[in-house]
Amino acid sequence: MTDLSTETLRELLAESLAAWRLVGDVRSAGGLVLLSCNATEIRVEPVPPGSPFRWMVTVNGRGRGALSLLAVLRRVRAALDCQYERHQVRIAPAPVIPP
Amino acid sequence: MIGVLLLTGFLGSGKTTLLRHLLRQPAFSRTAVIINEFGEVGLDHQLVEASTDSYIELQTGCLCCKVRNDLVETIDEMLCRRDQGTVPPFTRIVIETSGLADPAPILQTLMIHAAGRLVLDGVVTTVDAVNGASALAREPVSIKQVALADRLVLTKSDLADGSQRVLLDRLAELNAAAPLVTANHGSIDPALLEGVALDPRTRSLAIEAWLGEAAGAHGPRHTRHDSEIQAYAVVRDEPLHAVALTLFLEALAEHCGAGLLRLKGIVDIAESPGRPAVIHGVQHVFHPPAWLPHWPCDDRRTRIVLITRGIPRRWVEVLLDALKAEVVATAAEP
Repeated sequence: MTDLSTETLRELLAESLAAWRLVGDVRSAGGLVLLSCNATEIRVEPVPPGSPFRWMVTVNGRGRGALSLLAVLRRVRAALDCQYERHQVRIAPAPVIPP
Repeated sequence: MIGVLLLTGFLGSGKTTLLRHLLRQPAFSRTAVIINEFGEVGLDHQLVEASTDSYIELQTGCLCCKVRNDLVETIDEMLCRRDQGTVPPFTRIVIETSGLADPAPILQTLMIHAAGRLVLDGVVTTVDAVNGASALAREPVSIKQVALADRLVLTKSDLADGSQRVLLDRLAELNAAAPLVTANHGSIDPALLEGVALDPRTRSLAIEAWLGEAAGAHGPRHTRHDSEIQAYAVVRDEPLHAVALTLFLEALAEHCGAGLLRLKGIVDIAESPGRPAVIHGVQHVFHPPAWLPHWPCDDRRTRIVLITRGIPRRWVEVLLDALKAEVVATAAEP
């Protein structure tokens, strides 16, 4: 369970839609956030204590746990944008000072 | 460590003239040069005379799309020959790209493959005062060359008629953070190209210059944008947990891809009080953070400058704050 406010989550999802150039509706209700876009209904809610996940993301009735907001964003975008291609971050190797 | 300076600019913008001038300066002695030309037959390298303690390599084909591996091999070979003493012991490499090259993948290549012995000294972009405005209007790669610059060098201003206000305004829109230097008949003071980028070797950095004015105290007022490319700074007073920074960079890389042209910043890390981290990334490739022994200036706020294509500032700010809040909430859990 996270103390992150529902309003913060709602704003993040709403701004994410804009960043991904998608049009939809995002609203908070009773401790969860509801998102509708591209004929897809998504519900994001914090999970009760004791779960290995922090969030539950339910897409058109099918729920999956998410460990972090990063995972929530990944799941939401994958559900909404079939052309989404995840870019994995690459960290350049640390410089090694030659002897 | 050997510094690498990337010299770019659109076709005919005066890169080779500038390079020829620089190589005559004592400050640019002991420089190895890689000249990349798009055509099968190169000419530019014949226009550049190297001093006895410098030398020049030529590559043909476009660096940004075809010959990135060739660039790595060329650099490796140069370093090997330097170690063997068969070439002068250069202390700097200048890569002159072709005028059609996108500098972003070249930067990525340098960051990934050359991290062992090389350090990126920065990106210098030449802009033709006569034709620059029309190139920026017609050629997307020209816009990217300007947007990614750490220094802009205005060339051929002696040939331009009347005011260059339109061009200067356009450059300010695209990259307000990069200082603009005017070349006089292809000549500039080499000192103006020193300290172009953060130098983790010496820790002697002009952090305000490296981050650009977008990260300064007046950042928000100086934000410039056009319809595609925006440069803006995210400034935060409170320290960030290291894991929040990691998640933030990961989210940017995942969701922005090529839209994140460049990111650079100095970050107050909660786990490292008094020792800020310097971060630098191009698209989804990031340098490992460089840790400074102390803050380089009185301003101890986290300042992250982003140059983006189509990535809203508000999303970046909300993302950072949400990830930070989640990490704080996690840390507070029993």
